[in-house]
Amino acid sequence: MRPGKSDKAIAEMRKINHVEKISIVAGEFDIVIRVRVEDLEDLLTVTNDIHLIRGVQKTTTQIIEKEIAL
Amino acid sequence: MKIKIPKRYLFFVLAFSSAIITAVTSGVDAISQIYIPDPWALGVACFIFGVLVSVSLTILLSIPVRGKSIGSRSIDPAFKKLRLPRRNEIKYFIISGFGNAVLTIGYFILLSLMTGDVSVVLPFTQIAILYLVIIESLSEKDTPTLVEVQSTVIVTFGAMLGSISLSGGIDPIAMAIVFLVINPGWVLLSIYQRKLKMLRFNDQPNDALNIRVWNVIVACLVTFLIVFIFDMFMHTSHLIDGFYYSINQGFWVFLIALGTFFSFVFYIRALGIGKASVTQAVKASAIIFTIPISIVLGIMGIIPPFTTDPVMIMIKIMGIVLMLLGILSFALTLTKAYIFIKKKPGYDINKMIQDLWNIKGVTRVTAVAGTYDFIVKINTRTLIKGYERILRRVDEVPGIQKSTWQSVLREWEDI
Repeated sequence: MRPGKSDKAIAEMRKINHVEKISIVAGEFDIVIRVRVEDLEDLLTVTNDIHLIRGVQKTTTQIIEKEIAL
Repeated sequence: MKIKIPKRYLFFVLAFSSAIITAVTSGVDAISQIYIPDPWALGVACFIFGVLVSVSLTILLSIPVRGKSIGSRSIDPAFKKLRLPRRNEIKYFIISGFGNAVLTIGYFILLSLMTGDVSVVLPFTQIAILYLVIIESLSEKDTPTLVEVQSTVIVTFGAMLGSISLSGGIDPIAMAIVFLVINPGWVLLSIYQRKLKMLRFNDQPNDALNIRVWNVIVACLVTFLIVFIFDMFMHTSHLIDGFYYSINQGFWVFLIALGTFFSFVFYIRALGIGKASVTQAVKASAIIFTIPISIVLGIMGIIPPFTTDPVMIMIKIMGIVLMLLGILSFALTLTKAYIFIKKKPGYDINKMIQDLWNIKGVTRVTAVAGTYDFIVKINTRTLIKGYERILRRVDEVPGIQKSTWQSVLREWEDI
């Protein structure tokens, strides 16, 4: 993220369909977004929507292959 | 005129509304005891009306307006219409319904023992946090930290001081009901309602309204069964009396059912905006709102008048302040983090997932395709514990090449 743009960007991200969780983090990244989509077309739409938000500099996508959770 | 509430205040408006409705409803509970002196029959009557009110309002909220139901627009976006429970929900509904039935009967018996003083009864329900910490320690793979132990002790002692009977007496039967009936019932209800809310169907989160309706229906059936068995062995007629009172004293029971429904609806709506722990902490302010209710009930002569002894009043206020501080410290000290992990080639992914999952404090292990190989989610009370007990153990898992810790500063979740 570009410095100083987080608040507005997060407000925009919360409006995007398929977004389940948004975490502001401290470390290598600034924001972690968890999305649930039915196909790669939906994933492309979500990624595109995120890229269109002012202040977003770079995104990295990790596809979930397997998960264990409480 | 339409009232518009800014979104940032909406959370507090909803959570405090839920707390105020809870306090007012507990006042109505106390008044109802004059007309329905048998706490078992009052429990039965409350569930009969609880089912009627919940089902009727949910049917009303199922009416579609411009393609979406009223409930979906106003209460829970995941709600479509009243539906039957799904197969994998039934087990959770039975356990949470049992918890609700036990909690409600225990609550009314306690209220009758405490001569209707809601400011004595309601703080006791907050001791459930003590049980939740123990259960989380056993089931959610987490050892309690000093903060948790301190907060639990503060809440428990605060609840005991806040619940002090203004006549000065301690009833051992009332204490047994609090510790062995009400709070275990509350814990069962809250844990299994949360499990129900976490279920997903057709890629949509489970909705609060159907959870509420089916929980009340199951709790009603379980209450009938418990009271029927009790009546059989004790040769009493609480079950029949419950039906009798629900017809003859329907007004008061209807008010209780209506208050409980809206208290629950506002609470769930607040959950969709704020963090669950903070919502619970704000909702705990109900114990403050019960004090004016008790004063009013005392003036009306429904319960013994509120004491004017400054020492007793001070002890009660100290107890309530301690309890709120304990709950707030619980809510605000939880630290979450992600660990992004790259693995070395030649190590089995399934074995590594299991090794990571076995580390205490890990709440989610995700194998991913991309820059990293695993993302691990952590819940911890302190960063020191996070480093010493979690990150060091993660790095010791065979096959880990590199790990990056990302502390979560703030989080929003679609509940």
